[in-house]
Amino acid sequence: MSQFKESEGLRIINNWMAEKGQAPFPFQLQTWQRFSNRYSGMVVAPTGFGKTFSVFLAVVIDYLNQPNQYSKGLKLLWISPLRSLAKDLAKAMTEAVDEIGLDWSVQVRNGDTPTAVRRKQERLMPDVLLTTPETMHLLFSQKKNSKWFSNVKCVAIDEWHELIGNKRGVLTELAISQLKRYSPKLRIWGITATIGNLEEAKHVLLPYDDLKITQVTAKQQKKLDIISVLPDQIEVLPWAGHLGASMVDKILPIIAANTTTLIFTNTRGQAELWYQLLLNAQPDLAGLLAIHHGSIDKKLRNWIEDNISSGYLKAVVCTSSLDLGVDFKPVDCVIQIGSVKGVARFMQRAGRSGHSPFERSKIYFIPTHSLELVEVSALKAAIKEKRVEARDPMVLTFDVLVQFMVTLAVGEGFNSEELFHQIKAVHAFQYITKDDWQWCLHFITKGGKTLKSYEEFHKVILDDDGKYKVKRRRISMLHRMNIGAIVSEVNVMVKYKTGGYIGMIEEFFISKLKPGDSFILAGRVLELVQIKDMTVLVRRSKAKKAISPSWLGGRLPLTSHLSHYLRLKLSDALLPSRLEKELRFLNPLVSRQDKHSHIPKADEFLVELIETKDGYHLFMYPFEGRLVHEVFSSLMAYRISKLKELTFTIAMNDYGFELLSDQPIPVDDSNIETLLGKDNLMDDVIASINASEMASRKFRDIAVIAGLVVQSQPGTRKNNKSLQSSSGLIFRVLEDYEPDNLLLRQAYTEVFNQQLEEARLQQAFDRISKSKIIVKHAKSFTPLSFPLKVDSLRGTMSNESLDKRIQRIKEQAFKID
Amino acid sequence: MHIVKEHITIKNEELILTNQRALYWQREHALILSDLHIGKTAHFRKHGIPMPDEILQRDLQRLKELINHFKPQRLYIVGDLFHAERNSDITTFKSWLQQFPELKIILIQGNHDRQSKSLMDDLNIKVLSKLEINPFTFIHDISEIQTDNFKISGHLHPGILLKGKGKQSLKLPCYQITKHQLILPAFSLFTGLNTKNTPKDAILYAFTDTSITRF
Repeated sequence: MSQFKESEGLRIINNWMAEKGQAPFPFQLQTWQRFSNRYSGMVVAPTGFGKTFSVFLAVVIDYLNQPNQYSKGLKLLWISPLRSLAKDLAKAMTEAVDEIGLDWSVQVRNGDTPTAVRRKQERLMPDVLLTTPETMHLLFSQKKNSKWFSNVKCVAIDEWHELIGNKRGVLTELAISQLKRYSPKLRIWGITATIGNLEEAKHVLLPYDDLKITQVTAKQQKKLDIISVLPDQIEVLPWAGHLGASMVDKILPIIAANTTTLIFTNTRGQAELWYQLLLNAQPDLAGLLAIHHGSIDKKLRNWIEDNISSGYLKAVVCTSSLDLGVDFKPVDCVIQIGSVKGVARFMQRAGRSGHSPFERSKIYFIPTHSLELVEVSALKAAIKEKRVEARDPMVLTFDVLVQFMVTLAVGEGFNSEELFHQIKAVHAFQYITKDDWQWCLHFITKGGKTLKSYEEFHKVILDDDGKYKVKRRRISMLHRMNIGAIVSEVNVMVKYKTGGYIGMIEEFFISKLKPGDSFILAGRVLELVQIKDMTVLVRRSKAKKAISPSWLGGRLPLTSHLSHYLRLKLSDALLPSRLEKELRFLNPLVSRQDKHSHIPKADEFLVELIETKDGYHLFMYPFEGRLVHEVFSSLMAYRISKLKELTFTIAMNDYGFELLSDQPIPVDDSNIETLLGKDNLMDDVIASINASEMASRKFRDIAVIAGLVVQSQPGTRKNNKSLQSSSGLIFRVLEDYEPDNLLLRQAYTEVFNQQLEEARLQQAFDRISKSKIIVKHAKSFTPLSFPLKVDSLRGTMSNESLDKRIQRIKEQAFKID
Repeated sequence: MHIVKEHITIKNEELILTNQRALYWQREHALILSDLHIGKTAHFRKHGIPMPDEILQRDLQRLKELINHFKPQRLYIVGDLFHAERNSDITTFKSWLQQFPELKIILIQGNHDRQSKSLMDDLNIKVLSKLEINPFTFIHDISEIQTDNFKISGHLHPGILLKGKGKQSLKLPCYQITKHQLILPAFSLFTGLNTKNTPKDAILYAFTDTSITRF
């Protein structure tokens, strides 16, 4: 230990930091020391505390202390989930090595890297390479790639918490296993923000027995101010989206009072809407206000990011597109519009302001309807108790596995026995059986089980040297285009007819428009002229009204974690403590709910029956998030229709759901417990939903990742038209002819684990069975049911008539008072 | 296999629509269908996408039963008999054909049909760019011709999207008929459906394994 403290490398770094008036944080020092003692590990630190330099400088110090242990070429591989992070990290690292006086080169490689630079890198790799999981796999698909990696000393996985919960996490696990094969003494370091399952996250990243493993946790805590912005008046019948316009006047002074503000919305559609609202309210913001989301042209996004960094922009309306990424120094304020749906996401967004270590983060919460204020109160409680959601790792994702196998076959080829043992050590595939493995091999070499059915199949072949390889160039090319685990909606390019690229938009949305219709993208009102070859040609529109697209991916479900706190806070709201200003503000609403129906206590479950001119409504409030409610509601519809043949219209939000029927719904105290019973739960769920329909939807991503569906690339001329088919078609084919196909099985597993959230549904029913069930007949819509009603109306009516309709319903409700 | 029939009259000619993706013209003793896409599955397999041969087998089985049922003298294929290059599927098709030595096959060339003349001669298939038998003109893609005749074509793989309560939806293949044209559903089951671009005045005959319904 003392040896390290007195080492030359540490002395150089300490001096270098001292020159800048800095000193290492204890967790940095600890990381450097552990790394030098040959540990692998995971650093847990909030953003803005120099987590990058904890691992990066650890390698630098180790190199300075024993340069003879390092060879020419790659020393440190830095894998991060976002491309946009890489550029700025590389800049900071280059600055550091220059100032320290090292002759290292630090370079970026990802989808944006020009071909010339790539070729240069392939001749001589830099000392430090910053890249993404997908690019790692692309590198593995090159001939003779092993020589680049054989001397790598450390691989760092940045923002591991962003990767672990999805298939990109599995790509990362596989990449690490391949690197470890090339360089057996490799040290593996993860960097993560706090999540609910740190211990598991560490194990997923570092499943190897031969490693010395440690965890370094930064003691520093980010100070966080959560300020909710209350509307002037309380709407006792709240509805989503309604508060929007009136809150603009509350946002403008916040923007004025801060240097740079990030305004987060939940969907791209909302971002477009708020951008317009703010500009209309204060036209001189033009040029100082920008909009940033995933569908906007990359160049424009880069420009925006540069201008946030330089402090030129006053405010940016954005979506999760800016959740992660570069530290924007000037940002000193964050505004969240509408529910944020999760504790971790809220903290992440808040952390985008006040980025340097000792600044406070400041986040304003703007509710879009008054009930969302309960959520702020719930968030505050969760953050105070330091309860953050877990991110569950994915396992047995065969789509990613077969992709990886073909990737290696395209590259240097693989030996079946060796690769099987390598895969089995990876967390995601620790339970893979020999049979599963044989199936995967069969799938990529023969196509399927019955050989006769797959004549002429050609993909991977067993070569004379005992290695599985891809020999045909066209198959290699098709595969390289398909590497990765992010499957996007089918997007089309939007361009001006006169030239000039604006952004991407979902084909689903554009297919509903006719030439001459107007829509909003990137803050501009555009008129559709023509759709041609995956490209939408538009011109500027003078229309005042335009549709803003609702992107399919936009809807985030509430996490189970936050919903737990929501239930607690709602019952608190009847008797709010002095300090909970949100709950006190809400008191009139909650009192009305209690007067006309009931406020469910934490150990109660509320069922409301309301009869209106529209028909008979049944409302239930499980507070489990939209996804669970989707399943829950169809389950209830199924169980009720066993009592009496009824047709229901179903509506849901994050708090509860509605069943509407034209005939009385036979639900009362006598049968409600059976209806909400735990018995035969999953059997009834399967009977009530079209599981194969849902699996077919899940199969979409799987088919693309496994290479069954060739994605057409927007804008490229080669669209492989003769190989186009839909995943739905392939799903049906496999159901008919290969029902035991592992990819098909995976689709059903994903439905149960993710879509149905089987575990969460079970827990919800457990909780309900222990709760007191309260059935109330209300004379008209209650504060809890009203937002649901509005949401269900929204689906069927145009906006103007919707506003009128809502007013009428409200007037009717107030008449009963 | 269950053949459900629907008799319709167009230009005073009686046509029989079936739920098996082909129509029969009694007067001409002709079975008419489109978009068989033979060779598609093998084409996929050659490019590393495993699609089983049973898909083709089932299409050919269906066609065989239709032929046995109607006993046509002629088979009009309104385009896209073949999907891509010459591959093992075409060999399968050739040997399948031998059971119908009397059947005359006319192919109206589609955008996918790029096979050599020698292959077509070998299969004894007559290839035309269009076929006129009054009152009809048979053509693969209607957008490629101007005529006052009633057109019978394929190419589009027409389908219908039915929406029900509670966000239920269902896609079905269909025949699409307007005043000037009839568009056939794709014969092969390994094809997608196009539910857009339905003309306003179109009558759709959608079908399932057991029924035909007019919309």
